[in-house]
Amino acid sequence: MLTTKRLWLDRDQPMRERWLKFLKQNNLQPEEVDYTIGIFDDGRLIGTGSIYQNIIKLIAVCGDYQEQNLLTSLVTELADYLWTNDITHYFLYTKPENMKYFTSLGFKRIIETDTVAFMERGTPDLEDYLSKLTEVKAEAKEAGAIVMNANPFTKGHLYLVETALKQCDHLYVFVLSDESSLFSFEERFRLVKEGVDHLSGVTVVPSREYQVSQATFPAYFLKDQAAEEVAKSQAELDATLFKEKIAPVLDIRIRFMGEEPLSKVTEIYNEAMAATFGKDMELVVVPRLQSEGEVISATRVRQAIEDKNIALIKHFVPETTYRYLTERFTH
Amino acid sequence: MEILEKGISGTTESSDIYITVEPNDENTIAIDLQSDVEKQYGDRIREVITNTAKNLGVSSVKVTAVDSGALDCTITARTLNALQRALGNERYNWKEIETWNV
Repeated sequence: MLTTKRLWLDRDQPMRERWLKFLKQNNLQPEEVDYTIGIFDDGRLIGTGSIYQNIIKLIAVCGDYQEQNLLTSLVTELADYLWTNDITHYFLYTKPENMKYFTSLGFKRIIETDTVAFMERGTPDLEDYLSKLTEVKAEAKEAGAIVMNANPFTKGHLYLVETALKQCDHLYVFVLSDESSLFSFEERFRLVKEGVDHLSGVTVVPSREYQVSQATFPAYFLKDQAAEEVAKSQAELDATLFKEKIAPVLDIRIRFMGEEPLSKVTEIYNEAMAATFGKDMELVVVPRLQSEGEVISATRVRQAIEDKNIALIKHFVPETTYRYLTERFTH
Repeated sequence: MEILEKGISGTTESSDIYITVEPNDENTIAIDLQSDVEKQYGDRIREVITNTAKNLGVSSVKVTAVDSGALDCTITARTLNALQRALGNERYNWKEIETWNV
């Protein structure tokens, strides 16, 4: 008799051990999860699947039962949970060789690397995103791109945009859509737009879940707490998605990065991008803008906000951001 | 009638169909179908979904259908259910539905 139930991994230590052992038997590395279910045959754990935010992952079914279509039940259960939490567009990680099973369950391939495949179900999906990008495409011989969080937009970001603009004839600035920052996406997007408004040849667009998001690159948000091996695999996926799906739609030839000399994760990301781009695309790392011997960074701006150091904030951010910050923090 | 909310019905189990309906920017019934028997029955599945929506008076909707070999009656039932859920309609006019015969 098969039964399906939720596994309370954070409270039920023996169950957690069994789950970890089961993942190991199926060559899966445990990761952070919010919700996990297990299928049992008379007490024996024979299948599992998990959710983290809007991502289905760590799905495994015991080899002896693979004829029984347990995968379908697992995915149905997990999809129901997502649906009841109002998540109608979600992602899935699996091994490239297992993609075919998920395709027949209605998942669409986004991208794959040698080790991992990234899929999605629901809308608005990658196809919708790419057609939105096509609508804002500009005529350009050499288009470039920057992906930034801009939390908030500083003189450093402005310098990066201006420097990039000298090396290409149109620049797309992708603002991270992920809501893992002090400033909301709406605020960050608006400040980037206002900050580059005086420049011609710049288009500001959202990155959605398809670049440096909790879905493609969660290690980015953990900064240097992420395991290097994990960060590397995610960085590769993110870079491949950019190169194969996003860049071709806008004819992007150059990707610009702001230098992050102290961040290991950024270093891994840069290496992965250089390796993935190969000869097809160029990667340019722009050194940081220094102001009177001091490096400008959004981290320091946030610190200055916390310290209520208005002079320092004014020193670090352009007029547009400054105006917004004084409005937001003095009322 | 336009669909303004999302609605869902069905499963991806064998002989069932998993239907998601949502708003469409254009005034059409757009169907994205994934089926192992697309080659044999794809057109018929689309026809059944389209007719069901039309019978219900829906002219603008985006339908995503993941078919695992559902019969016509199942396709009608799941489509109807997803649309009614999206419309927030809990009372069905069974008499009228009986007359559709899609």
